[in-house]
Amino acid sequence: MNLSMRGIVKSFGANDVLKSVDFSLKGGEICALLGENGAGKSTLMNILGGVLQADAGTIELDGKPVQFHTPHRSLEAGIAFIHQELNLINDLPVYENMFIGRELKKKSGLLDHREMIRQTQQFFDEMGLDIAPRAMVSSLDASYKQIVEISRALMMKASIIIMDEPTTSLTDPEIERVFDMLRTLKGQQVGVVFISHKLREVMEICDRYTVLRDGVVVADGLVKDTSINQLACDMVGHAVKTDSARGNTTVGAEVLRLENLTLEPYYRSVNLSVHAGEVVGVTGLLGDGRSELFRTVFGDMGKYEGQIFLNEKPVTIHSTRQALQMGIGYLPRNRKENGIIKDMSILENGSIVTWPRLTRFGLIDRKKQLAEFDRQRQELGIKMEKPDDSITSLSGGNQQKVVLAKWLSARPGLLILDNPTQGVDVGAKEDIYDIILRLAEAGVAVVVLSNEAQEIIRVCDRAYVMYHGDIRAQVQGETMNEQEMMRLATGG
Amino acid sequence: MTVAKQKKETFFQRVAREWKTNPMFSTGCVLVLMIVIQTVALGFNDASFGAWLQRWGKNWINILRNNAGVGIVALGMTFVIISGGIDLAVGSTMVAIGAVLMFIINGYPAGLLTSIGITGVPAYIIGILAALLVGCLIGTINGTLIARSKLPAFIVTLGMMKICRSVTQQCMQTVAVKVPTGFLAIANTKIGGETVLPILYWLVIAAILYVVSRHTPFGRQIYAIGSNERTARLSGVNVEKVKTWIYILMGALVSVTAVIQIARIGSMDYANAGSGYEMDAIAAVVVGGTSMAGGKGSIVGTVLGMLIIAVMNNLLNLMGVPPFLREAFKGFIVIVAVLLQKKESAN
Repeated sequence: MNLSMRGIVKSFGANDVLKSVDFSLKGGEICALLGENGAGKSTLMNILGGVLQADAGTIELDGKPVQFHTPHRSLEAGIAFIHQELNLINDLPVYENMFIGRELKKKSGLLDHREMIRQTQQFFDEMGLDIAPRAMVSSLDASYKQIVEISRALMMKASIIIMDEPTTSLTDPEIERVFDMLRTLKGQQVGVVFISHKLREVMEICDRYTVLRDGVVVADGLVKDTSINQLACDMVGHAVKTDSARGNTTVGAEVLRLENLTLEPYYRSVNLSVHAGEVVGVTGLLGDGRSELFRTVFGDMGKYEGQIFLNEKPVTIHSTRQALQMGIGYLPRNRKENGIIKDMSILENGSIVTWPRLTRFGLIDRKKQLAEFDRQRQELGIKMEKPDDSITSLSGGNQQKVVLAKWLSARPGLLILDNPTQGVDVGAKEDIYDIILRLAEAGVAVVVLSNEAQEIIRVCDRAYVMYHGDIRAQVQGETMNEQEMMRLATGG
Repeated sequence: MTVAKQKKETFFQRVAREWKTNPMFSTGCVLVLMIVIQTVALGFNDASFGAWLQRWGKNWINILRNNAGVGIVALGMTFVIISGGIDLAVGSTMVAIGAVLMFIINGYPAGLLTSIGITGVPAYIIGILAALLVGCLIGTINGTLIARSKLPAFIVTLGMMKICRSVTQQCMQTVAVKVPTGFLAIANTKIGGETVLPILYWLVIAAILYVVSRHTPFGRQIYAIGSNERTARLSGVNVEKVKTWIYILMGALVSVTAVIQIARIGSMDYANAGSGYEMDAIAAVVVGGTSMAGGKGSIVGTVLGMLIIAVMNNLLNLMGVPPFLREAFKGFIVIVAVLLQKKESAN
């Protein structure tokens, strides 16, 4: 089946996400859909999958115009969207998942288990898959789960499959297994849209590519005519601001050193070091393991292999409390889930770390608490009314500053910031960069985890680039540019 | 509640605003309304105002005294529920603690201490310490299973509820116990001609726990854990330790209730004593505005909630509602009180 999307336009409020995008796919073809976060990939595919409606533009299947108002309609037309979070029921066997919503029944109205198992087995045999229909889905690894979901789509006569970052959570052998499945699909004239950040995989499995940037197709063509470098360039664009905010830094003593730190399946054999007064970036794409790596350092991941050195002394960290006492601060990603306590006031959110230290005769000394918080408030420029107002009355940027204030009041020697500018507006972003630089000047060792290359370039002295749990390289000065980091982060 | 910088607010505007924004206000309204109805139901056919006032006061002392035991349990339950947990075992735990206490200080035929020659005040002190110990021990077991083994609080305390009552009944079936009369002074000593000690215990503990909940790291960490356990942990809060201590505190408070109950009536019915305590305590906490989802609530609210339920009971009594129907009214008031609070938070 041939798909053709033409002049697709979509905006959310004043935000134009797609500005007249063309996209096509032939049967038996694997087409990569590439772009940075926010480029419009997901929106485009959600329109194809019937999740969203386009504001303008046409979709044609084999030359016939179609419109999908619901995911169900899209599925009926033969388009299956395999989301990152798989849509399987873990506690049911494979064959029941294959028939969910269209179960086969006997005349008596009871489920015809035997027939469902038989058909599932027959399908797996045809596809050359070695999966037992009676196996519980929960017992399968992530790649087999994906294969089961693809198989279900095929049994429902899908002829176009959209896969959203299918390999993010997979190990190398598992990725190979999914790729084998994709090659089988090609042989059966099924078209596949492969959304991914991993350019090396794109080069391996895809026939064609389309690159989106800011809602516009900026490049497309055959994969064999391009290179990883070229694709990385296309994704980030050329007009890239690469000016660093860092001048000459005086680097102090080593604060953190990791030797062969390993925690499967997240990361392995990680070696890195951070010095006082230095801002070190760690970047990569989804599933690179950087968050898990530094949550380990903060004692939030439990047991690990390898050795952590703090101030050149070997330490073992198994709880967040320990990490705190050793002078480590950690601003987590996803502020709403990990950063703030929504039922508490601004003041309490900004001082929870130091409560035990602020006591007098066992009671929290409100005067001390207020004084300490007020100092941070001025330092960080938090815009707020009263300290006792709810934290949720603040804007995202100011909430983030409160979370930062909580850590600064603990006066850490090592501060880990995971996506520090997530969900904050441009002005607050600059404020946070300034704060990071001031901290480094004051001698704090700062680690910035970010997937935004520009952010790394802006505030960091040097950066490590991770890919699938490995540190690929360290970049600094000349090599710390967007293209190079994108190349390394995509496995090039 | 913060008062916004408005020009002039009439009394009615202010009431309307509080009604909309302050869940505690609607709880208070319900309580006041019930007290008014109760006062009317009590009647005014007395010789003088003084006589009426005395009768009214006596009635109140009765109400408070009868609910001091559950009231103390409800205070601990407030912490448990704010932290996101639940404790169904309180009633049975009280029976188990009571059994240990009675076994130790038994005056007839002869308890453990009497048989080795310790009687009177020293025996009572040892008995009370033993009761506290057992309460804390059961709390530690609950807390450890919930906080460290990560079992659901509902299941752990449901199991503990069954275990405590059944073991106690089996062990105590042949022991006829009678508490020495001296022990009864703990609850029955009259002050100003009235038996008010249980009420004082309740209010003193409420005051202490109010301060703990508002002004100590432990108290605030309970709220933090209930609202967002993940953030609390990432802020260096020792979540397991705090949770365990919450259940230990609960156990200790149940011990206090056990001592008061035994000292009041001098015996304990192992099959029925304390049954329904967990539900009455949870009802008081919930009526007092504490969220079952954790993170929100207060000790003051729980005291108000307990009063609402207590006055309700008294009212049903005064109006001569048949005993079987009374529980229905209790159920009704729980739902209505929470419904009123729900409306507020939705606004």
